[in-house]
Amino acid sequence: MNHSVVAPMPRRARPSEPRPVSKLLAVLICCGLAAPAQQITQQENTSPSFSTRATHLLGFANARNNSTGALSVQDDSLQFQQNGKPGAKVKIALVRDVFLGAESKQVGGLPMTLGKTAAPFGGGRVVSLFAHKKYDTLTLEYVDADEGIHGAIFQLTKGQGELVRNELTARGVTISFHQDQLTKESATETRHENK
Amino acid sequence: MKTSKCNLSIACLISLVAIILALSGQLPGQTGAPKSSGGNRTSATRCSVQVAQVDAGNLDLAYSFQIAIYENLVEELNKTRQFAQVFREGDLKASAIPNVLVLKTTVEKYTPGSETQRAVTTVSGATKLTVRSQLLTREGKVVLEHTVNGDVRFFGSNLRATHNLARNIAKTLKESSWPDFPESTAILSVQP
Repeated sequence: MNHSVVAPMPRRARPSEPRPVSKLLAVLICCGLAAPAQQITQQENTSPSFSTRATHLLGFANARNNSTGALSVQDDSLQFQQNGKPGAKVKIALVRDVFLGAESKQVGGLPMTLGKTAAPFGGGRVVSLFAHKKYDTLTLEYVDADEGIHGAIFQLTKGQGELVRNELTARGVTISFHQDQLTKESATETRHENK
Repeated sequence: MKTSKCNLSIACLISLVAIILALSGQLPGQTGAPKSSGGNRTSATRCSVQVAQVDAGNLDLAYSFQIAIYENLVEELNKTRQFAQVFREGDLKASAIPNVLVLKTTVEKYTPGSETQRAVTTVSGATKLTVRSQLLTREGKVVLEHTVNGDVRFFGSNLRATHNLARNIAKTLKESSWPDFPESTAILSVQP
């Protein structure tokens, strides 16, 4: 039996110093870890001072009507950005007035409405009694480059409208006497629902 | 083999019917468009309109409604293509153009509704708006005056009434005719 046996190389005989490839790999890994950290730092520097979810009902720059996105106050502008789409911006200096209101709306949209209509024995009506939610409406009045007056309406979760308004007023936007309409509208809505 | 032939003939028949239906829907649409832009085309194409902000007067109309009527009016008037240009209130470009009319809208009646009430009862809770819309020259002469209604009775939010109202105003203007004012500027304002 002729077996040619190759003796394994003793471990001690292997080079103990790291190869240049592994050195390079280590450097790349370190760079890879450091890069996101830098990005995060940069993002923190340019992060919006205030941002909230909102539904744009109508009128704001080039934003689509009845679209949901993030309404944010950034530096000197108010921005509305839909998911994955470029944001619409209006400079805060061009905003002339801010009004806050309240609205009670049915939830579920068209599918829910159709479902309620199809429900037998008036079951849909009973569902409608409970399937409503109160929202804040934020109305802005701003001017464009030609001084033409624009209006925009946003629908926000209850309580968020006040925060946006405060943020805007802190940046110099004036509020007219219309601001008390929040209480008026709420009262009207309550009166109607109690009837 | 026989069944596959049968299926093929059925598919052909269905596609033929679909093509016929599509064509029959398209042709009236093509002929309808020029008809709708008829009427006072000659005077309208010469004029531009400036939409004035809605005047709510003494009515307790939420500001969001006033803004919604104003914005919807601008949008609907642009859609009709009846006017050469549609300007907003305060627009500096409007003063440089000779034939501009002003659309003034005054809210006369407002009935606040409730979406929940509409959903529960169907017959009550309608939001109703009645406005007087006037088309004025720059000198303040009334060229056209109409009372227009807009409401939401069944489905939709309360703000839907403003959209319906603006559409009705645009439709009324489109169907109306007014004397030609070569030096006029039309401004639309809404008052309560």
